[in-house]
Order: sequence, then C-alpha cells, then structure tokens
Amino acid sequence: MNAPLLEIRDLRVGFPIADRMALAVRDLSLDVMPGEAVGLVGESGSGKSVTALAAMRLVAHPGRILGGSIRLGGDDILALDERALRKVRGRRMAMVFQDPQTSLNPAFTIGQQLLDTINAHRSLTPREARAEALEALAMVGIPAPERRLNSYPHEFSGGMRQRALIAMAIACRPQLLIADEPTTALDVTVQAQVIALLRRLARDLNLAVLFISHNLELVAELCDRVVVMYGGMAMEAASVEALFSAPKHPYTRLLRQCVPRLEGGQERLLSIDGAPPVLGQMPPGCPFAQRCPDALARCRSDEPPSRQLDGHSVACWVAT
Amino acid sequence: MNRGIRRLVVRLGGWSGAVGASIVLAIALAALLAPWIAPYDPVSLNLERKLQAPDAAHWFGTDQAGRDILSRAIWGARVSLMVGVLAVVIGLVGGVGLGLVAAYYSGGLVEQAIMRTVDAIASIPLLIWAIAVVGIIGVGPVLIGPFRFANEFKLLVLIGFLYMPGLARVTYTVAQIEAVADYVRARRVQGARDLAIMFGDVLPNCLSPLIVQGTLLVAIGIVVEASVSFVGLGVQPPTPSWGTMLADSRNYLFSGEWWLPVFPGLAISVTVVGFNLLGDALRDMLDPRRSTGRLIA
Amino acid sequence: MLRLIVGRLLFSVATLLLVGLILFLLTRLLADTPARIVLGIEASEAQIAVFNRDHGLDRPILTQYLDWLGRIVLQGDFGKSFITGLAMNAELARSMPITFELVVLAFVFALALALPLGILSAVLEGRSIDHVARVFAVAGVSIPGFWLGLMLIRFFAVEWGWFPPGGFSPLSSGLGPHLRSVSLPAFALGIYYVAILSRMTRSSLLEVLGTDYVRTARSLGLPRWRVLIYALKNALPPVVSIAAMSFGYMFGWALIVEHVFNIPGMSRALLTAIGQRDYFMVQTVVYVFTAIFIAANLIADVLNRALNPKLAGAG
Repeated sequence: MNAPLLEIRDLRVGFPIADRMALAVRDLSLDVMPGEAVGLVGESGSGKSVTALAAMRLVAHPGRILGGSIRLGGDDILALDERALRKVRGRRMAMVFQDPQTSLNPAFTIGQQLLDTINAHRSLTPREARAEALEALAMVGIPAPERRLNSYPHEFSGGMRQRALIAMAIACRPQLLIADEPTTALDVTVQAQVIALLRRLARDLNLAVLFISHNLELVAELCDRVVVMYGGMAMEAASVEALFSAPKHPYTRLLRQCVPRLEGGQERLLSIDGAPPVLGQMPPGCPFAQRCPDALARCRSDEPPSRQLDGHSVACWVAT
Repeated sequence: MNRGIRRLVVRLGGWSGAVGASIVLAIALAALLAPWIAPYDPVSLNLERKLQAPDAAHWFGTDQAGRDILSRAIWGARVSLMVGVLAVVIGLVGGVGLGLVAAYYSGGLVEQAIMRTVDAIASIPLLIWAIAVVGIIGVGPVLIGPFRFANEFKLLVLIGFLYMPGLARVTYTVAQIEAVADYVRARRVQGARDLAIMFGDVLPNCLSPLIVQGTLLVAIGIVVEASVSFVGLGVQPPTPSWGTMLADSRNYLFSGEWWLPVFPGLAISVTVVGFNLLGDALRDMLDPRRSTGRLIA
Repeated sequence: MLRLIVGRLLFSVATLLLVGLILFLLTRLLADTPARIVLGIEASEAQIAVFNRDHGLDRPILTQYLDWLGRIVLQGDFGKSFITGLAMNAELARSMPITFELVVLAFVFALALALPLGILSAVLEGRSIDHVARVFAVAGVSIPGFWLGLMLIRFFAVEWGWFPPGGFSPLSSGLGPHLRSVSLPAFALGIYYVAILSRMTRSSLLEVLGTDYVRTARSLGLPRWRVLIYALKNALPPVVSIAAMSFGYMFGWALIVEHVFNIPGMSRALLTAIGQRDYFMVQTVVYVFTAIFIAANLIADVLNRALNPKLAGAG
C-alpha cells in the first residue's frame, strides 16, 4: 500500500467560548489514499465540517487549529504561509460546500468565476483558459456550456449551481476533493445525480474524495471507507462493507438504525434518545456515554483510546 | 476593577457604549438641573466683564456681553435636547403609526397610499426646508390659545415631520415580516382586534431598530437645530443656545478670543458623540442583524 | 429594468410637482403678500389690487403655480422677483455654480478618502488602523461641519495663514487662489460624509467577506486582490447608492458651510432673500434644491438596482 494522500493526525480545533477554547475537533486522525473515497459521517455539531475546513486551512475566525498535523502528499499544510497555501487550494485540493445558493458569487458570471480559478493556477492564453472552462462545465454535465458561461448564478437551479461549483473545484484537476454535505440543500432526485457525478469524476480523474455527510446511505453509495464522528472524535473507522455489516461502536449501530429507507415503506424511524453534547459543555470521558445504551461507569470518566478490532478502528471501551 | 461596573460596561456594549451613555446622562442632567448647577445667570449682561479669557471664576470665559459661557453652555443643553428629543418623539408617533398600518394592511390600497406618501415626504430635504419654512413664517413666537411657542417649536415640529418617512420605513420593514408570522395569525383567529394586534403584538417586535434609529436621530436633530440657529433662524435671543453662541463668536474669529467658538462647539460635538456612541452600542446589542440601515442627513 | 427606471422617474416628477405646490402654498399663504412688502403697510386696497393685477397675483393660486412651473419647464425661465425685480435666472446663474462646485469638490474628497479608509479597516479588521478609523468616524459624524469650519478659519487661516479666512476667489483670479479659497469649505463639508461612507464601506465589505462565496473563492486559491474584487463588487452597490443620496444631502449642509466661509453661493442668495422677505427667491432656491435632492435619490435608487445583477435581472 502506498502513502496516504491526505494524512490528518491528532487534529485539534478549538473555538473560544467564555474565555477558554472549546474543542470542536479533538485528536482526530484520518487518512485518505490517492483515488480513494472516504466518508466522514456524523450529526450536525459532530465536528465533521470543521475537520474539512481545517484540512483547507479555512477555519473561520475566531476558531483555530490548536494542534496535530495535516499533510497533503507529504507536505505539511499547517506550516504553509498564505502564498504557498493559495497554490495548494484549488490546485492540489479543492472543496465543494453545502449551500450552492450562497457559495457562488452573485455579481459575477459562472464563466468569470471559473476562469478566475483556472487563471489563478495556470498560465494559459485566454483561448486555452476558455476551452478549459468549457471542458470543466461539460465534465460536470452542464448542458450547452458555451451559453452557460455568460449566465449569472441566479439564473441557475440549485443542482446546476452545485455542478458549477464542482466544475470550479475540479477545473485544475486536484488530487483531492473535499465535499462538505454537497447534496443536503438539494432535492432528493438531484441529490442522486450529484452523487453519481462525484462517483464518475472520482473514477475518471482518479480523484480522492473526502465526503462529509450526515446521511449514511449516500456515504455507502459513494465511499470506500467511512469514519464516524461524534463530539469531535472519530468513533469508528472501517470499510463501508465492514461498517454496514458489522458495526462495532454502539453509536454506529444506532446511527445505522436511524437511516430512513425510501423503499422500506412503513418502516419505523428510530432516533437516538437525548441530544449531542454542546460545544463548550463536553462531558469527561466518551462524548457519547450519556446517550449510549451500553455505557459503563468508566465511559463517563475516561476518554476511550482508538484501537483496532477486526479491521475496524474503534474508540470505545465496550465494543467487542 | 469593580465587578458591578464591569458587568454594566459589558451590557452597554463595551466601553464606547458606556462612554456614550454617560455623556447622554450627563448632558441630560445638565439640562434638567441648569438653574441649580449653572454658576451664573446665562442672560444677564455684565459689560464690565466682557470677553474675559477662561479663569477660575469663569471656566469657559465670558462672551461679548460679559455672560458666563459655561452657564450659557449648560442652559444651551436644554434647547438642544428638547429639539432633538421631541422631534424624534413626533417622528416616532407619526412614523410608527404609518409604518404599522401599512405593514398590517399589506398588499392593499392602504399600503400603497401610505408608502407613496412616505416616499413623497422623504424627498423633502430637511435642512433647507427648515431654513426656508422658518424664513417664510418668520422667527417670532406662535401663540396658540394661552400658550406661547418659541421659534424652536416650529423647528422641532418640522424636523419631527421629516423624520417620519425614515422611521415609518423602519417600522414597515420589520412589521411586514412580523405581520405574517404565525403568532399574529393565531391572534387573528382568536378574534383579537386589529389595533390590539398592531400595537400589542407587532409593535413590541419593531422596538429594537426604532430605539436605535431614534437615538441616532436625536444627534442629527441637535446638529440641525444648531445649524439653523447659527444662521439666525433657530433659537432666538435671549434664550441661550449653542448655535447662536457660535453665530456670535464669528465676529471674534480674528481678534483672538478663541474660547468663544471653542466651547459651544465642543458642547455640540460631545453631545452628538454621546448619542452616536449610545446608538451604535444599542444597535450592536438590540439589532445585531442590522435590519435597518443607518439614516443619514 | 427600463420599466422600473421610467416608473421611478414618473414618481419623482409627480413628487416634485406636489412638493412644489406645497412650497408655493407656503409662500402664498403663510408669508406677507408681496404687495404689502413692496408698498408698505399704508398702501390702500386699490394700490394693492393694482400691484396684484400687474404681477398676476390676483389669479387663483393653482393657475399661478402652473404658470410658474410651465415657464420653468418650457422656457427655462424661473421668473422675476416681485420685490427686487431681479431675474431669477441671473441670480441662479451667479450663485448656483459656486455651490455646485463646492458640493462636487466635497463629494469627490469624501469618496476618495472614504473608500480606501473603509476597505482598509475592513481588511485589517481589529488592527490599529481599524481602531483609528473608528475613532475618526465617530468624530466625523459628530463634529458639526460649520463648527469645524469656524475652527479651520481660526487656526489654518487666521493663526497660520495657510488659507484665506473666507470669501471666494473665482477661477478667473487664478487656479491657486481659487483652490485655496474652496479647500477649507470643501473639507468642512466633506468630512461628515467621509465618516459615514467609510463606515458603510467597512461594514458592507465585512459582511461580504464573511459570505460563503468569498470562502469559495479562497478555497479555490484565488489571489488576495482577486478575492477583494469579488467581495467589493458585492459590497459597493449599497455604498454607491448611499453616496448618491449623500450628494443630495450635501447641498443642505453646503448652505451652512457657505455662510461660515462667506461664500457668495446659494446660501447668500437664500439668506439675503429671507432677510428681504423676497419669498419668490426663497421659493425658487428651495425648489431647485429639492429638485436636486429628488434627482440624487432617484439616481441612488437606480444605481442600487443597476449594480446588482440579481435585482437588475428581475427587472
């Protein structure tokens, strides 16, 4: 096996709450191999989006990366200055955000925004750059790209905007695409199209994908491996097959049962009792202990370390 | 530092808010207590002591008629605050009423009529009309029944009237959102009367931006009053006012009596700073989403 | 878009007609009649009737108004004062360019200073320049321009003699003296708008810098200046709109500043007219100012929409 493309080790990201730093991500480690699709799953507030932003060094003020390391193809991302960072963003890794309504600049045409991305990283003649832009739009399945270049975002539907954003992200052929809930704001039918598009792009461009979602079903469709996050920690990581067939962590098991199944008809929608811990009021021990049906006394006092178990890596005292 | 003070400062939106509130409070007290705290009579002439530089007896010096500038500045706060505050009150009464009604009967002829009227009034420039209207009517007092209204009342009514469109729009913008909210619909279903819903339910939700704008408009009103008084069409002698004090000082710009223009101008500036700081702090506190833009003049 | 502009234009014209009528009524109903002012209190009813007939003042007010307006619109003729007999056109031609120049200078000064200051304090939010700009802005909106003018005269003109203490040197007396005579007034008039517009630029830009699409641009590795342009194109339309409105407001404050500096612009025309109870002149000046004000607001409104592709597209 070769070296990971993205290697996150012991990442800690904090936000100041009442004079101290509350950890939104604690000691998270994660690998994405070249060409591999990894799902990062969790409820809202679990720290998955913050992790994605941290990988891009885009954690918004006043949040801060407090520790750990992030390497992309062996380069230490946290050590880069703004200038070097700009050469990495959009060129070697790119990101697609949750809300296509607000993620495109309303005052510029799609073409202009696409060309800006291309010109930021490559010195091409205007004609070549335009050809690249058209190709990127065609690649994400936007019909009549020549006409669409001159359109403003508000003339696009939600799904089309997300495609346009993906086109910008892949325009310079990055090795890694981070997709932060790219389908959450879209209709269900469009969701499936976007997932299919991501899968196709990953295959055609040998693109590694870090796919962030709260929806296990979508992750199963797209990804090779899954990392389940809760309270800022990685609870369980395994291949998709292993995680779905034999989840080890109590939280993963419950999460599996919560997924609504469209084809299931009347099936009961389970929910996990209680609410996820609030940032700044994180209990000691395992963050899930308060809601965990299998919790032991130890779970409430000691943070469980990550350990290997039948090919899963699990952070849990009780999992067997 | 004392914890109580610290908490108060935080509540007032940091130091600038606290400074603003303190200034406003101090000026308001000076205006209220002028007869007791002013060291001298602000109007009686004393030609033997005219144009004295600031000293221990007259901290701000004396003017061309020997009157104590500190005392006149303290008394001047009365007219300034009265015009500033009453104009906003008039603007609020009219503006809130119009805005609420327009928002409540949204989509109809009433809304159109009110908002177009508001737009029309908004196209009247405040300062020039203030000057012209007073110029046309004359600066003499107005007698209504047993009451005698000095010239500054014309001014404050006019300023208040021209504040109405801005405040009506603020009310309208916020109330429009509130008027279609579920709780208003619920109150309608319960059979509450329109007026009760408007003033009892919708208005309280519009208060934050109105308080903010009102505070900032007091500042503008004070400057407008001082400006109109400066050209001689505002507060009339012998009533002490900052604007007329500055007008008098124009004759002494070349002869070196620097205290004549400096202190009345400082009085205006500090007061206006106070209201602006307080308004900005209130905005940060009450209206962080900035549902309304800043009114300019 | 075109329909919208035409609609606004029509509304503005209607407003101007209405406001003009109000102004006309004010001068006719609340002020002393021109005949009394010219002929004195002892004049007989007959004399007054003759005066009124000669000047067309015996006609119904609405007829007088429409006649006055018609001459302005159709012939560009603002009429003659009943009191002094002076032609308004000559008076306006003499005083209006001076006021206009002062306002334009102050406006350019305000924009030239406010935009860089606002952009800098947004980009360097929380740094020392931002704090300095904030203190400056609070002072700028709070210090009345006319008092600032007095202080400038006191120190920059009287004390140090860098500028003339007032008055107006026309361009014919040389560019240097001309500019020196207008710099202090333009500064005193403009500083309030530097403060207002720089704050507005700052808050508008800060808001945009926090949006998702700026984050997108950063995530794609766009150069800093390009990200700033991305943000500015969205942040500036409201500022431009407010600036256009400010242009209208500035004429009002220009009156006071002209008075401070003894500049023979519209201020002198208006205040002299008030002193002479020449209400026809007052009415003319106020009408012209109101028209400018309404035009500025109209432009502000149209600019706001034209610069926003979303609104422009929606028509």
